[in-house]
Amino acid sequence: MLKSLLFRQQEKRQLFIAAFGALLGITFLISSVHYLLRVSEFGEDSEILGANTLIVQKKVTSSSSLNLTKTDFSTNELSKLKKEPFVVDVKPVVSNNFRVWFETNDPYVPTFKSDVFIQAVNKNFLDVKSDKWHWKEGEKFVPMIMPRDFLVMLNTFMNASGIPQVSDDLAMKLKFRLRISDGQKEEWVDTRIIGFTNEISSILVPENFMAYATKKYANGDPGKITQIMVAGKEGEFGKLEKFMSDHGLESKNSQVVVSRLKSIVGTLFAVIFVISIVAVFASGLVLIQYMQLLMSHNKYEVRTLIRIGQHPQSVILAFFYYFVKVFGAVLIFGFIIFLIIKYFIDEIFQTGGIYLNESISIVSLLSVLLTFFIFAGASLRTAKKGVMQLFNK
Amino acid sequence: MNIEFIKVMPEPLAGINHTKDSLWGNKFVFDSKQRTLLNASSGKGKTTFTHCLMGLRNDFSGQILLNGEDTKSIKLESWVEIRQRKIAVVFQDLQLFPQLTVEENLKLKAELTGVFESESAFKKLEFLGLADKWSQKCGLLSMGQQQRVAIIRALLQPFECIVLDEPFSHLDKENANKCMQLILERCEEQKAGFLLTTLDVNKDMVFDKEIKL
Repeated sequence: MLKSLLFRQQEKRQLFIAAFGALLGITFLISSVHYLLRVSEFGEDSEILGANTLIVQKKVTSSSSLNLTKTDFSTNELSKLKKEPFVVDVKPVVSNNFRVWFETNDPYVPTFKSDVFIQAVNKNFLDVKSDKWHWKEGEKFVPMIMPRDFLVMLNTFMNASGIPQVSDDLAMKLKFRLRISDGQKEEWVDTRIIGFTNEISSILVPENFMAYATKKYANGDPGKITQIMVAGKEGEFGKLEKFMSDHGLESKNSQVVVSRLKSIVGTLFAVIFVISIVAVFASGLVLIQYMQLLMSHNKYEVRTLIRIGQHPQSVILAFFYYFVKVFGAVLIFGFIIFLIIKYFIDEIFQTGGIYLNESISIVSLLSVLLTFFIFAGASLRTAKKGVMQLFNK
Repeated sequence: MNIEFIKVMPEPLAGINHTKDSLWGNKFVFDSKQRTLLNASSGKGKTTFTHCLMGLRNDFSGQILLNGEDTKSIKLESWVEIRQRKIAVVFQDLQLFPQLTVEENLKLKAELTGVFESESAFKKLEFLGLADKWSQKCGLLSMGQQQRVAIIRALLQPFECIVLDEPFSHLDKENANKCMQLILERCEEQKAGFLLTTLDVNKDMVFDKEIKL
């Protein structure tokens, strides 16, 4: 009855406009919060290098091209670097000194083969679970960590062959194999991808496998050490960078492209986030203003209700529940629209080879709840103030 | 319920000369169980009196005590309880909701206390000859009809005293008598009294005490 009295005659155009504005704002808010998080997380889980770890190599100059300076590291240079106070550990990156081919070996994908370059690094530098990262002679699979660029190349091939592209998860389920040879004898070894990296451009295999293959197909000669892994001390990374600059060393920085991409997309969503905050705030204000207008139109009703014995709290709650329901409906519709938008945005990202975590982030749900509670608080305060002002006038 | 007026003088009436027996500026005690008639000509503050008594205005000097408690210090929550259970009121300007039907107006009030059902409200309406107006919007009724609806609405609650501000001003004698009969029956049921303001005393009116403004 109270609802019928207070909300029967109202100009709903303004309510509709405010609700529509809030709907747009909420949709953009959820979307931007979700993608800000997902884009910032992109690649983090699959990174396998530990914190403060760099792959270091000597700068290739014109003189090194003419063999006047060396680009490989001596044992002496490694031990000297290891003694530096800002260095935690130094280990060589062992490269293959024999021939290696990589190919698909799964009935679900067409055959793809390529010459590849494999490397092994000490497992202390890798952020992978040790139960996955081990190999000994006679084991069925050699685990490997794949450069993400290689997956992009594989997907390009898939696309050209008219086959659906593979995500990180799917790639880790497919079967592959490596052919290793010294030119005379050869061996096929089944492999499985256990992770991806943006930082290393070769396929990483366990040290045991590299030692086994080197012994069998390179007469035990590991070849020259052209790259090393250096773990710097926390907070002293600047000293390591200066040392590298002074000694003609450089670090591999293949993550620049991903970082730049993340930065652009992140900035875009940050802008949308700010706009959506403004939109939600503005539309929330319009809704609150509409509530004030509605209360003002119901001045006689509110005053009379309280005069005949209606508790002011019940009048306040009638206004509060009405607007909370409107905003709640806006949030639900906004969330549904977000799910639809998300489907298309994820498709666009996947077409571009970017596989974001598809699950809905808790933070975006929390942002919706936070928005709801802020609006509910503002509504309750406005209803309380408005009703009491009307009664006391 | 004991109602005391101690030297009450509303600000808008402070400049007017009041008679010695006027309630304004003097001390009066009402027993809520009594049937009191407040007889005064226009402009003497009858409506001001009802509004002050109901806690709807505080622009007066002196004190109004309800059971010994100063009305100015009574909190809104307590006023809600007083308006729902102790003092019923028929406002001079009726204060009905014109956009609601007669049924809705009565139901809205009945729902506050849960004492009366629609059926009981309808019987009262029937008694006052308004049964056919049950589903009609109050705004479409004549003043006399609205006045009767307002009286029924005030009766749809428990009370110790009912304040009636010129309740029969738009009614003919027959309807006024019927309304008075209904009011007296309700007062009898609850052992309650009334405080009725009027411009002139009707010889058919039943009352215990008469006061002037």
